[in-house]
Amino acid sequence: MIFRIIPKLEVKSSNLVKGVRMDGIRVLGKPGEFAKHYYEQGADELIYMDVVASLYGRNSLLDVVSESAKHIFIPLTVGGGIRSIEDIRKALQAGADKVSINTAALRNPDFITEAANHYGSSTIVVSIEAMKKDDGSWEAYTDNGREPMGKNVLDWALEAEIKGAGEILITAIDRDGTGNGFDYDLVRQINKKLKIPVLISGGGGKKENVSEVLEDNSLSGIVLSSLLHYNYLKVKQLQNNQKETLFSRYSNAKNANVENCSLIELKKFLSDQGISVRLLNEME
Amino acid sequence: MSLEVYYGLPEQIKYCTRCVVSNQRPSSTVEFKNVSKEKKETIGFDENGVCSACLYSDMKENEIDWEQREEELHQLCNEYRSKQGNYDSIVPVSGGKDSSFTAHILKHRFGMHPLTVTWAPHIYTDIGFKNLQSFIHSGFDNNLFTPDGETHRKLTQQAFLNLVHPFQPFIIGQRNIAPRFSTLHGIPLIFYGENQAEYGNNIEDNFKPTMDTKFYSEMKRDYENLRLGGVSISDLETNHGLNLDNLTPYLPVDVTKMEQTGTTVHYLGYYLKWDPQELYYYASENTGFSANDQRTEGSYSKYSSIDDRIDPLHYYTTLTKFGIGRATYDAAQEIRNHKITREEGVALVKKYDAEFPSRYFNEILEYLDITEDQFTKTIDNARSPHLWKQENGEWVLRKPVWET
Repeated sequence: MIFRIIPKLEVKSSNLVKGVRMDGIRVLGKPGEFAKHYYEQGADELIYMDVVASLYGRNSLLDVVSESAKHIFIPLTVGGGIRSIEDIRKALQAGADKVSINTAALRNPDFITEAANHYGSSTIVVSIEAMKKDDGSWEAYTDNGREPMGKNVLDWALEAEIKGAGEILITAIDRDGTGNGFDYDLVRQINKKLKIPVLISGGGGKKENVSEVLEDNSLSGIVLSSLLHYNYLKVKQLQNNQKETLFSRYSNAKNANVENCSLIELKKFLSDQGISVRLLNEME
Repeated sequence: MSLEVYYGLPEQIKYCTRCVVSNQRPSSTVEFKNVSKEKKETIGFDENGVCSACLYSDMKENEIDWEQREEELHQLCNEYRSKQGNYDSIVPVSGGKDSSFTAHILKHRFGMHPLTVTWAPHIYTDIGFKNLQSFIHSGFDNNLFTPDGETHRKLTQQAFLNLVHPFQPFIIGQRNIAPRFSTLHGIPLIFYGENQAEYGNNIEDNFKPTMDTKFYSEMKRDYENLRLGGVSISDLETNHGLNLDNLTPYLPVDVTKMEQTGTTVHYLGYYLKWDPQELYYYASENTGFSANDQRTEGSYSKYSSIDDRIDPLHYYTTLTKFGIGRATYDAAQEIRNHKITREEGVALVKKYDAEFPSRYFNEILEYLDITEDQFTKTIDNARSPHLWKQENGEWVLRKPVWET
């Protein structure tokens, strides 16, 4: 089977943003530009996530998505603020192929069934924000890693599968943006339980993090953000001969946990490791 | 009809047109003289309704020559840097993002050899203690100073009951500790992080690299005028079973000793452009700093002021007295640093600012040794009538930012 490499674009208002452990959200640029770049670099899918949807109780992402959908021909998943069948319909109409649901599913697990009955399981991704607890278990969160919901992640993932989710996207909150590597333990345990495809997000800081996690597991795909975003920023900076900011000077490159690696380099590396990925020239 | 106004606050409530702070925000006080319901100096607004913190933020952006300031810091460090590797500076740290950055950048970019000192929180959170440990393990000597718990609790209790300001003894201790260690160890140079003036004290204060000595020292010990928790020393002795020996850590540092040592307290934020969110990134990358496992009560953020279980109560009291809670402080700062928009800030304030600190509430009552009834009465008595009204048995702000 072919592993999918999926860049995740977290969007706030009209900006592409990225946090560390889902906080301290940094504005990196315009999502459309990053999306186009990743598409050209051979991304298998893209995920758009509105990280402040729950704050406003609205979904402001759809303009960005419909713009992207005009010239990006890989599956797009849209999440953040999907609370009703109507919200799903609007997202699909804007050009999404799948929607991801977190808060609304946790509040009412039957919403997964209802959504799957309407649009088919393969359209419905259940997104789980997982926080590792001191006792070694994981708790499901909402509001971009802010609100604990008191539900065990492994139980919840299984329940979501039974309710009709087509795919599970699991994000390790405590790894997000750190580049400290994926939560292998979480990946392993969740894979043991589920039959549907599982995507893991949070912690990918270098090529080896990705290859290690794919070697060990029957994962369906890997979701990346910092690793790719910061590489693209650096490329852009070089191209535009931009002046370094005070803090790009202070950020201590030797300690920063995220290496510079493009999507093309990553896939080449994985392929060399014998991991099956779709390479760019195969699709032309 | 004019309503009664406490604390000498401005009668007309106005919000900054750029951020979410109101004209009710008090400036920093000389805490060891603070008495109940004293008149507060408050944040200034210009003729366009922009607060002084936003105006200073513009200066940070457009007027201040940060390369020149960094050069000044190099000069300062050159003057004090030790050649033998003994301590050449003191950095008070909590293990939070700002102080971790301060110590780390001084060591690694400016070649200093800081001794870090910590004034312990009232009750450590797990994440706060872990972060301090991570910071130490990233390469720093640290001296953790924990004040006598019984005395600290009594003072905190009095500060809550008399001033509705439970953090006051902590603030005093934290301001004093570095100058005190400076005189104890003979290390003259001290670096604090940013000047509180960045958040709206007198704007001119931002253009001085050093902290005003009035905040931590006195020419001669004038015990007559000294107040801790709003209580005079003699009253503390007579009615609260405390004596001067117990109070040493809270007393202003002796100026004569400071002169002998050559103690000088600098703000790193004068020399390096302060951006709290970027410091969070820096500390995450360099000192093993971790955000909390959930947002702080009363706000949306997970990365600032997370080491003390009493902390959310502190902001709840500022909400009570000035109508300004934790989310307002957090959002105002993030708006100024272009992290969020004003619209977003207003939504965050509406959603989180008035949230009651329930997570550690029982522990807080136990710590303060007061009943829930005493707590509620103290809080409600502190609500200035010009800010608050009761609606269906609930206290609500008369003029919240989302209704302006």
